[in-house]
Amino acid sequence: MSEAYVTDDSLVTADSSGYDRALDGTIALGIVGFVLGLVTLIDLVSLSSSGAALAETLATLLVVVAGGVGTVALSSWANVTPVDSQRIRGVTAGVLLALLGLTLAAYAVPVTLATLLGGLLLVEAMVIATAGVVSNIGLVDTEPNATAGLLAGFAFGAFGLLLGAVLGGTVLGSGGFLWAIVALIAGIGLFALAIVPREDLGSTLPAAVVVGALGATIATATIGVGWQWNPDAISGGFTGGAVIPVFLLFGTLIAAWSAAKCRAGFGARGRQYGAFLVINLNAVLMVSIMAAIVVFVTIKGVGYSVRGSTIGALAGLVLLSPLVVLAVRTARTPAGSEEWRGGARQLFRLLPLAVVGSVTALLVSVLVTGEKLEYGYTYTVLENRESVVLDTSVAITPETTVGSLVLVLPTLLLFVYFFRQYGSLRDVGTELDRVEAVRRRLPLAIAAIAVLTGALAILGASPAGLPLGPVAGVVVVGAGSVAAVGLAALPLAGLLAGDEALPERAVDRARLFTLSVFGGLSLLAAVLVLQGPATVAPAVFGRGIVPLAALLGALVSATTATILVTATRAADETITRRLLGEELSLALAATAGYLALLGSHVALTKQNFSLGVSVANAGSLSVPMAMQPYIPLGAEPGGIFPAIVGTVWLVIGATTFAVPLGVGAAVFLTEYAEQGRLTEVVEVATNALWSTPSIVFGLFGATFLIPRIGGDESLLAGMLVLGFMLLPLVLITSREAIKAVPDEYRDASAALGVSQWETIRSVVLPASMPGVITGVILGVGRIAGETAPLILVLGSTLNSTSAVEVLNGFRFTTAPPFIANEALLSASASLPTQVWAVIAAGVSGSPSMGWATAFILLAVVLTFYAVGITARTYFRKKLNYE
Amino acid sequence: MIQDVRQRVRETLLGRDTADGSALAVGASGAFLVATIAVFLAAPVFALPTVGAFCFVTALGWVRFKPEMARFLTLVATLLTVLTVAFITIFLFASALPAIREHGLGLLLIPIQDGDVRWFFWLDTVLPTGEIYWNPSSGAYSLIPMIWATAVVTVIAGAVAGPLGLFGALFIAEVASDGLREIIKPGVEVLAGIPSIVYGFLGFQVLNGFIQTSFLDDGASFLIAGLVVGVMALPTVVSVGEDALSSVPDSMGDGSIAMGATRWQTMQSISIPAAFSGISAGIILGLGRAIGETMAVAAIMAAGTQFADPLFDIFDANVTLTSLIATQYGSASESTLTVLFVAGIMLFVIVAGMSIISLFIERRMKAKLRGQA
Repeated sequence: MSEAYVTDDSLVTADSSGYDRALDGTIALGIVGFVLGLVTLIDLVSLSSSGAALAETLATLLVVVAGGVGTVALSSWANVTPVDSQRIRGVTAGVLLALLGLTLAAYAVPVTLATLLGGLLLVEAMVIATAGVVSNIGLVDTEPNATAGLLAGFAFGAFGLLLGAVLGGTVLGSGGFLWAIVALIAGIGLFALAIVPREDLGSTLPAAVVVGALGATIATATIGVGWQWNPDAISGGFTGGAVIPVFLLFGTLIAAWSAAKCRAGFGARGRQYGAFLVINLNAVLMVSIMAAIVVFVTIKGVGYSVRGSTIGALAGLVLLSPLVVLAVRTARTPAGSEEWRGGARQLFRLLPLAVVGSVTALLVSVLVTGEKLEYGYTYTVLENRESVVLDTSVAITPETTVGSLVLVLPTLLLFVYFFRQYGSLRDVGTELDRVEAVRRRLPLAIAAIAVLTGALAILGASPAGLPLGPVAGVVVVGAGSVAAVGLAALPLAGLLAGDEALPERAVDRARLFTLSVFGGLSLLAAVLVLQGPATVAPAVFGRGIVPLAALLGALVSATTATILVTATRAADETITRRLLGEELSLALAATAGYLALLGSHVALTKQNFSLGVSVANAGSLSVPMAMQPYIPLGAEPGGIFPAIVGTVWLVIGATTFAVPLGVGAAVFLTEYAEQGRLTEVVEVATNALWSTPSIVFGLFGATFLIPRIGGDESLLAGMLVLGFMLLPLVLITSREAIKAVPDEYRDASAALGVSQWETIRSVVLPASMPGVITGVILGVGRIAGETAPLILVLGSTLNSTSAVEVLNGFRFTTAPPFIANEALLSASASLPTQVWAVIAAGVSGSPSMGWATAFILLAVVLTFYAVGITARTYFRKKLNYE
Repeated sequence: MIQDVRQRVRETLLGRDTADGSALAVGASGAFLVATIAVFLAAPVFALPTVGAFCFVTALGWVRFKPEMARFLTLVATLLTVLTVAFITIFLFASALPAIREHGLGLLLIPIQDGDVRWFFWLDTVLPTGEIYWNPSSGAYSLIPMIWATAVVTVIAGAVAGPLGLFGALFIAEVASDGLREIIKPGVEVLAGIPSIVYGFLGFQVLNGFIQTSFLDDGASFLIAGLVVGVMALPTVVSVGEDALSSVPDSMGDGSIAMGATRWQTMQSISIPAAFSGISAGIILGLGRAIGETMAVAAIMAAGTQFADPLFDIFDANVTLTSLIATQYGSASESTLTVLFVAGIMLFVIVAGMSIISLFIERRMKAKLRGQA
């Protein structure tokens, strides 16, 4: 904001006195106490532990903290990350000292942790009281105000009332009005103590009294670990195990605040330091709550979720390939300056590549040695309401089978990526007459194949009894495959033949590359599609021609790519390197493309392909939890495949319903409508829709949709209800995104004489697309975990044994509505309702199954969020730099 | 007069300069759309063919009159959004009407216990009282216990989310450095993204056990439900509050700094007062979230339709308005169903009302700040 803050920083870096160090230590002690309060509240460490066991726990904590502080201190000493602030130095040193002191005390005195912590509060109270008095009699240089202020006064008054009531009630007994009198005296006393004296006393003495009282109560075991107070009037009660940590949290927070005020010399600066300490602690608390939830669910659920998973090493390699590309890309980004920072950045950018490389090596070693890599552990299932522990393991097997889907998805991704990397090779290299002739005729050939495919698809494989399909099919498919391999081999031949240096030769043959990649891939894709309608799958040596051609094409392209890499190393002109880079992108895209065709062939014809390695429809990747339905009475419980399928369909349905409506409305509101009554109404309506409780959407679906579609709980009703919920999210974010498109864009387009609709279509929408997509992803993340409306409209049950089959469910009927889909109109499972079903089932719901489902749900939702947030950050940065 | 209206309708539908004949295309498309909605309401079996006809007519119009049809279709999308809200309101009220007609104020019956009317803010002077307050078989449906449960949970949630949210918003908007903000802001968003059923499962499996050992309770309690819902409402408060604090113009803060004030003084006397209404809008929205939260509450305290006893016993448990619907809907009889819709209306009206109020508060604040900037 302003330069004025510089003074702030210079004050902070000033040297510190003994008074300052003592207060830094007190703040540190407060922080340690606060953390220990949290730890004991959730029973990570027992309050009743004592002696060697306690000392060991504290020593472990000490070692961990010392490691962290030590590393920072070392790098600060080496001037790598200099820490100037005396306060930070003091507080971190104080944290170490405080922990050391606690550890030693635990060794020396045989008391429980509770007593020790009570002592901690007493020490804190003593130090702040002393600091206040020292400041008041002028021994140190401070700038206190005349009073601590009414706010502090009222706060301490309230603490006093509360403390008086609690202590009076528990110590003196809750009978009569004695406790009320005690409370009143304590409240008024503390209020007076806070506002009457000067600030240095007013903000330390009441704090010392409160902290001291809390400390004394704990240290003297007036409220000890075994203490209980169970009033008859209410259905709960209080135990020492809960009250002591709460006292501790409360006491240390006040003590740290008060010490921070002292440390900064009271006055305006003191208040700032105190307030910032509390604000920062609060932020740390918030982040730790979030991290704790995610980590806890992961720990609880991950074991059950991945039980019995196996993956073939080759399939693993295939799945890893996009990550390899990503890691290479990260490693290639420039690291900036030559300083140590640049070096460190370089290191961090290379790290992913190294990790991916190690994993690759591991997978390859499994393949080479043929030894299975296995990690065994146990998990718990519920059988007849009793927990049974079963053995399981996750393993990487030396299988060389790759599932068709596992092959197609990554290779398709890589194809698109490399294709986008490729810019243009227009007008590069020499034209050869024959190549140009092929280039002209190839589209005609492909079009002819497409026409043949269409005709066969409409007329059937054998129109009028003529075996057109089988005969023509075999000929065309065979010829096309061979031609495709030939095209794929063209660049390789061009690279190998000739007498110039390799880089020059490669540039000269550029036209071969474009022809080879685009021609070969589309030709093979065309004959692949032709096979279906023609009902043929010609084969040689017992293997399909098309997959053989695809494999050959991939191998040849990969070889070409390798040679190009060598060529790039030999090239010394920048322009040559750039052109070779384009060719390399094409060759890599071709490799990925041919492999994707291979996988698609297996998936489409349902014929496995094997030649050393196998591509099969039943691959070697197996995650029972995600890929199997529930198996009743089986040796293993199976998984939640139906729930995953259900959630996927719900998300797809809701998105197709809500995104066009939301984006359309956003376009109307920003581009067409003028600010007026209509926009006002829409805004209020969107806001109401956005905030409507999810269960109300469920009620609406139940009363409005269900009677009109099918009459029973159904997947379609669930889709529509989630669509209604997604609608306002999409509308609001899309509107923001469209609004963010600068008016200059629209003006420029209008100045060129482009009509309003054309401007929207070709200028506004493309420019706002990143924002719209991000909004949709975040919105989908939100509705994917939505449970309440689905309970009312989806009709799911616990442990579904079969997944809905939407794609195969469409039927044409003679009665209205003429198109029917049983699957859409039947109940389905979904991830969130599965978790709810476990809860609703009570004792017969398996907690471990619930945790695993919750973990998978959380993973799905957080993936959407991670992708959405990353995309938004990326696009925002890009927009800012432009 | 009529001419005027016609002109305005024409402009809304078609825009200013239109091609000849486009009115017919848009009109035909619009007619089929209205027909689709009507058919879906009256004879849903024929809805799909009507939708098909609408698509066909629209596609025809699209080929010939792209600009007009595009405008018309986006308008349709806008109107459908408004229509959704209208339909929600209408159908909820229609479904709840039988219960309101039959029970009237009986839906707000205050229980009598041991011969005495339970104290409930002196409301027994206006509201009816009775021995049995929830018994579907004898037709007693009092929503008072659920309303009270919702209030208790919301108050506890507010006590958690209010202060923590305010401090969190201050941290992100004023204290944190840019790098830290880049981490914390998405972190808060992720916290908002954790599905409510996951919170519920955590509460059900872990916190209910915790409260048994630490607070000698029998499991489910308002306290745990309130704490969990508070954490869930926290992100809303933080992000709206942060938004309000960031919209205070820098120049105002800089003025204060130039006078020699510290950052905390600036926050205290400039940022927070200027953004006060925005922050309170955030808290209102957060409370709305807490009221409407279903699954976490249903998972933590699913059972019981009794009245908290004593009224402020946070260790007691009872269903709230939301979890009443979630847990009872599946097994409810016809007459209970209509009562559940009454609960739904209460939720809808209260929460949507709170959200609209906070929308106007926020808007007024921003307009005011813009005027001063």
